[in-house]
Amino acid sequence: MKQRAARFSIGPVAFRNRVFLASGPAGYGVEYADFIRLDRLGGVVTKTITLRPRAGNPGRRLWETSAGLLNSIGLENVGAVVFFAEKLPALAAAGAKPVVSLGAEDWDDYRRLLDAAAGCGGADAFEINLSCPNVERGGMAVGSDPELLAKYVRRAVETLEGRAVIAKLTPNVSDVAVLAKAAASAGAHALTAINTVVGADLCPDLRAPVFRRVRAGLSGPAILPVALDAVWKIARAVDIPVIGSGGVSSVDDAGKFFAAGAAAVQVGTAIFADPGLPERIAASLARRGIPRAIGAKPSSKEC
Amino acid sequence: MKRDRRGCFSAALKRNTRVSPSCSLLVLERPDGFPDARPGQFVSIRVADSPVPLLRRPYSIMDCSPRTISLLVKAVGRGSSSIAARKPGDALDIMGPLGGSSFPEPDGAPAIFVAGGTGLAPLLFAARAWRRRRVAGKIVMLYGAGSRGELLRDLVKGEFSSRAFATLDGSSGFHGDVVALCRSLVRDRRLPAGGTLYSCGPRGMVRALEEEVRGAFRAHYTSLESVMACGVGACRGCVVPVGKKGATVLRTVCNDGTVFDAADIAWEEWEE
Repeated sequence: MKQRAARFSIGPVAFRNRVFLASGPAGYGVEYADFIRLDRLGGVVTKTITLRPRAGNPGRRLWETSAGLLNSIGLENVGAVVFFAEKLPALAAAGAKPVVSLGAEDWDDYRRLLDAAAGCGGADAFEINLSCPNVERGGMAVGSDPELLAKYVRRAVETLEGRAVIAKLTPNVSDVAVLAKAAASAGAHALTAINTVVGADLCPDLRAPVFRRVRAGLSGPAILPVALDAVWKIARAVDIPVIGSGGVSSVDDAGKFFAAGAAAVQVGTAIFADPGLPERIAASLARRGIPRAIGAKPSSKEC
Repeated sequence: MKRDRRGCFSAALKRNTRVSPSCSLLVLERPDGFPDARPGQFVSIRVADSPVPLLRRPYSIMDCSPRTISLLVKAVGRGSSSIAARKPGDALDIMGPLGGSSFPEPDGAPAIFVAGGTGLAPLLFAARAWRRRRVAGKIVMLYGAGSRGELLRDLVKGEFSSRAFATLDGSSGFHGDVVALCRSLVRDRRLPAGGTLYSCGPRGMVRALEEEVRGAFRAHYTSLESVMACGVGACRGCVVPVGKKGATVLRTVCNDGTVFDAADIAWEEWEE
């Protein structure tokens, strides 16, 4: 297999390298501008934007687990109007390549959000988040149904013509490859795998769940194997680029995604402890090249 | 001249002094380029290179001099115990200074400090910083802890016009919590008139101060504590509801705070 270049494209859009900040931890991106050289990354996927502002979930929102982090933020965001008028221009002004994450509670809101996104002009790449486990409506409920997912993706590809559309997939299904095929045949230019893994925890006194909604989204190193498995399966099921996301906390972890078949990686929860990691991954890929994807017949050699 | 910018720094630990059975005073060498910090700001410390514990731990800055940064670390769990066990010469990865707000200066008016436990740290910083900048008038320190052994009396020294201590078990000073101490001093008119209240401590303490004694003061500013992930206002994990009931907005403790006007906090809506 031939060595891959650092630069790469998703649909009609080129990115300076293959390392992105994942949606969520980095907020609107600019919050991290003092700590991460945003202009040295392939792109910054924003926190998910909904048509109207969302307050997010009440009560506790974070809970550290062994090698992981449960969150129940609930898609708190400023809404499309403020985002496109203020947050997106600020992110671009910080030198970042924005990838705007879009989410919706229902079809009607979704169509209107896509229309707003199509008219904004400030971004040419979008990640459709139909895989958030922390909301009642929309989110994972839509993204785990292949037909609904395809319908939403198709609409995005049509409305955002000429721009890159990435579908972010949930791992909380029996076969993520089915979702991947559905999104790919609906015209997605790339797939991000994975969103957080559904999890729960109990208070130490055993009297209550940690979160009001009980279930929350697990991220961090604990989910790396889940994400690698998803990327492995998806890369063998579709022909469009797969962006590996979930648990990357070292340069070597990022390499595993490429070997499993990913075309790019996202770094999320790891930036909390190590904001310098995404830039180090990008530098390492530039210096040492992109690790080759393992082919159809993996070597039988043991580690 | 190059402007100092907040960021991640490697800071050598100069001294680590056990100041109570559970608390350690860490004095770090201030790294080149580390900006001047303001009282109420904090740093978050990376616990380990390994992913367990995963998150940095936030600590209020207890002092930031031209050459050193001081922190008060109470060993409560795995992360804090690991940080408290670091040895002189060790390098700590500190991110900061974080926090978008700080204690407003008193401009010569009396300041009443109320500290609970390690909430002492940002108030000690305020007292020192204001004395250095000559903006302090009278500063009264009311400080409470669980017991005599936990009370860091030796840290509360010359910056204060007067001091009073409280312990929950009565082993030193006033028998009861520091809010009860404050209430009794207000009742007996033993605090300077026209003072502003500055507080830091457990949430219940700060809320009780606001609800029970706030009326005796010009204002009440508090530095809040929270579990945090990013520390920079990005992840929205440490939000606090601010504003009138039914029309609150969420602010981050890490970046909109840590210091808030305690009257703005919608205490009844803030759950954890």
